[in-house]
Amino acid sequence: MGFFDRFRTLEQRRLALLAATPEGPLRDFYATPFPAPDTDFRRAAYTALDFETTGLDPKRDELLSYGMIDMAGLRIDLGSACHQVLRPRGDIPEASATIHEIRHQDTEDGIDEIEALARLLARLAGRVMIVHYQKIELGFLDAACRRHFGVGFLIPTIDTLQLGHRWIEGRNLYLRPSDLRLFNLAARFGLPIHAAHNALSDATLTLQVFLGLTAQRLGEKHVPLKSVTWN
Amino acid sequence: MEIELQAVRDFLAAHPPFDHLDPELLDELPARVSIRYLRRETPVPPIDADGCYTYVIRKGAVEIHNDEQLAEKLGEGDCVDCSLRNSQANPRARTAEDTLLYLIPCAEVERLRELCKPFAAYFTDDSGKRLRKALTRITDTPMQSSDLDSVEIARIGNLNPITVKVGVTAREAARVMREARVSALLVLGEGDREGKLVGIVTDKDLRNRLVAEGLSADTPIETIMTAAPHTSAPSTTGLAALEWMTRKQIQHLPICADGNLLGMISSSDLMRYQTTHSHFLTIEAARADSVEDLRSISARLPQLQVQMALGGATAGHVGRAVSSVTDALTTRLIELAERELGPAPVPFVWVAGGSQARKEQTSHSDQDNALIIDDAMTEADAAYFEKLAHFVSDGLNACGFIYCPGDAMATNPKWRQPLKVWLRYFRNWIEKPEPMALMLSSIFFDLRMVHGERSLLKRLREEVNELTKANHIFLAYMASNALKHRPPLGFFRTFVLISDGEHDKTFDIKHRGIVPIIDLARVYALAAGVCEVNTLGRLEAAAKHKAVSKEGAANLRDALEFIATLRIRHQAQQIRNGEAPDNYLPPDSLSPLERRHLKEAFSLIAMMQETLEQRYQTGRLG
Repeated sequence: MGFFDRFRTLEQRRLALLAATPEGPLRDFYATPFPAPDTDFRRAAYTALDFETTGLDPKRDELLSYGMIDMAGLRIDLGSACHQVLRPRGDIPEASATIHEIRHQDTEDGIDEIEALARLLARLAGRVMIVHYQKIELGFLDAACRRHFGVGFLIPTIDTLQLGHRWIEGRNLYLRPSDLRLFNLAARFGLPIHAAHNALSDATLTLQVFLGLTAQRLGEKHVPLKSVTWN
Repeated sequence: MEIELQAVRDFLAAHPPFDHLDPELLDELPARVSIRYLRRETPVPPIDADGCYTYVIRKGAVEIHNDEQLAEKLGEGDCVDCSLRNSQANPRARTAEDTLLYLIPCAEVERLRELCKPFAAYFTDDSGKRLRKALTRITDTPMQSSDLDSVEIARIGNLNPITVKVGVTAREAARVMREARVSALLVLGEGDREGKLVGIVTDKDLRNRLVAEGLSADTPIETIMTAAPHTSAPSTTGLAALEWMTRKQIQHLPICADGNLLGMISSSDLMRYQTTHSHFLTIEAARADSVEDLRSISARLPQLQVQMALGGATAGHVGRAVSSVTDALTTRLIELAERELGPAPVPFVWVAGGSQARKEQTSHSDQDNALIIDDAMTEADAAYFEKLAHFVSDGLNACGFIYCPGDAMATNPKWRQPLKVWLRYFRNWIEKPEPMALMLSSIFFDLRMVHGERSLLKRLREEVNELTKANHIFLAYMASNALKHRPPLGFFRTFVLISDGEHDKTFDIKHRGIVPIIDLARVYALAAGVCEVNTLGRLEAAAKHKAVSKEGAANLRDALEFIATLRIRHQAQQIRNGEAPDNYLPPDSLSPLERRHLKEAFSLIAMMQETLEQRYQTGRLG
């Protein structure tokens, strides 16, 4: 984010990026207006996203799989659920494989990063993205966009880690770092957790955690989207 | 299928009505499902619903209120079906906890109903029909087969058959048969055939091959025996053995393994097994010679209940079978008493009360009985009946029918009276229905003759019928008494939901499920002047006399058969585990389907109780 971006709205920045983006999936993405920040959050269209990667550095590490699922009218649409594996160019380090349990042979039928990027951008256009810990998903999307289109990535984003932090502090509860992990937040709202851990189930759980975190605000007359987004 | 969708599929597949769906339909379903998370105290469907859905509770709870009263509490896996809600009497559903819900579009539910009949039946059948189906499902899937086609003959045959060695005379063989009271004798070889089966001799052989042929009684047995008879392996099924014996027209089949004799099975063993049967126990009881004999017959009652229940019998069947054996034991005890005490000085009738009278007994319930004696009884005769009562009651106690804790037995002088006194009792109870009288009503308004002079009970009944039939006040008291035991609302997680906020950890299936129906049927029967005491019989007769609607009677019948059958199966399982049978079902031992059917049965009962309450205005009795 440039220094002056702080003083511009997301929408203004979108238009500026649109002008700078070459033909292709990213340009199509920027051609669609972002949801207005004053939209009531109950009426917005969301897509939850979760990535499994070979590491934490968006510049060096690679995307291995993504899970994606939509929500509209605060209703999670299971029919939109999708899970996709990518074929990495390099190795899958052991340290990451023990977490996501994706082995090299599991990626043989995977798609390339550019193909994945095209699919993700097509789905995310005009929607709010929900992630748990935006640094990973936004960071990897941004790095990939810069690699392939020479322009960075921008989208109205909800980070359930940030919302969770606010939620716990708002209740004057003692906060341990582990409280903000997705599963621990889910447990707080009594959400069922599947033993299996993959990008799609994490994306779905992220949406449910979001619903839990915002449930208290359902009584309010108007809750603008910007009051729950991260950016 | 994606892991997330698989989890949703598996969850739905475990809960009715989705458990009825074919795998292919289940596979398609998750993609059409959406998820919502509603805060506590949110209406279901929520005001902001964007369409019509059936809501399946994934986590959390929903309460349904009818006129501000809690009608149902739903937990995980239950569904709030909004598509079929009658808009006129719309019950209010609202989350009782923060709740995660799976939403299935009504159009999808509609589609599934068209594609899958059992799924559709869940929504469309009336509760009575569903209960009948549930009962059929229970009785059609025996927990253990007790059929001849699966039992091995080694289990039911005689493993200590009576044998003789070759060389004995026909006379000697006949004597052995007489001593052992058998109609067939196995003949064993000698020398290198030592201990091996070489032949079989039956009553028929002695008649046809010896006497009819004019042979001497000293004829060696091998002359008239059937040499090298058919034998069967111990693992042969009862049915196969029966078929073989029928085809070969033989009554006895030696059981051998590797040429060694193990035992013998007769056609009567097979018949006896097939009819374990209560008829058999009844016949044995009639022949018994002592209380000790009767006790050993009675000891087989729990096994009878287990076999019947596990074999798929309904509670109605079991109740009739057990009661008929108890009747036979009682009758035989009276006969044994008369043998000891001499014939009764005046006519009398021994009557059973309670579950035995209603033919709804489960094995070894308490005994409830009474003696109605001819009015010609003198002071001196009283001593005879006292002895008779004690003999029979002690005998029943020895047989496992323990003394009635409420002392409602013929040994109690109060319940051992001439007809005129009984008439006075009943007149009193009916005219002044006091709490005590009402307590006794479940015993004394359910009397059935077991043994003796039928006309004594008949006269009592006719008189009582005349008194009760038109007596609105008495019936109102009986009705209010019948409303004492209320069914629960249903189940919620591991609890029995009783009413607003009240929970119970165990489910007393007898007092909360069965007794309410028995009590209702009794009121209907008294109102209609019906003499029948069996609850199913009462419901049928009362419906004929219009004391209860046909539909109401049919629904109660279905509810009773379902609930009571669950009970006998629960008890059968306990008996099989060597535990004492009881009436307490842990709610978590019930399958989701059983819970649902029970809940339906409860609501049928509650509906009929309400109708009774209104008809007799029982609320005014205070």
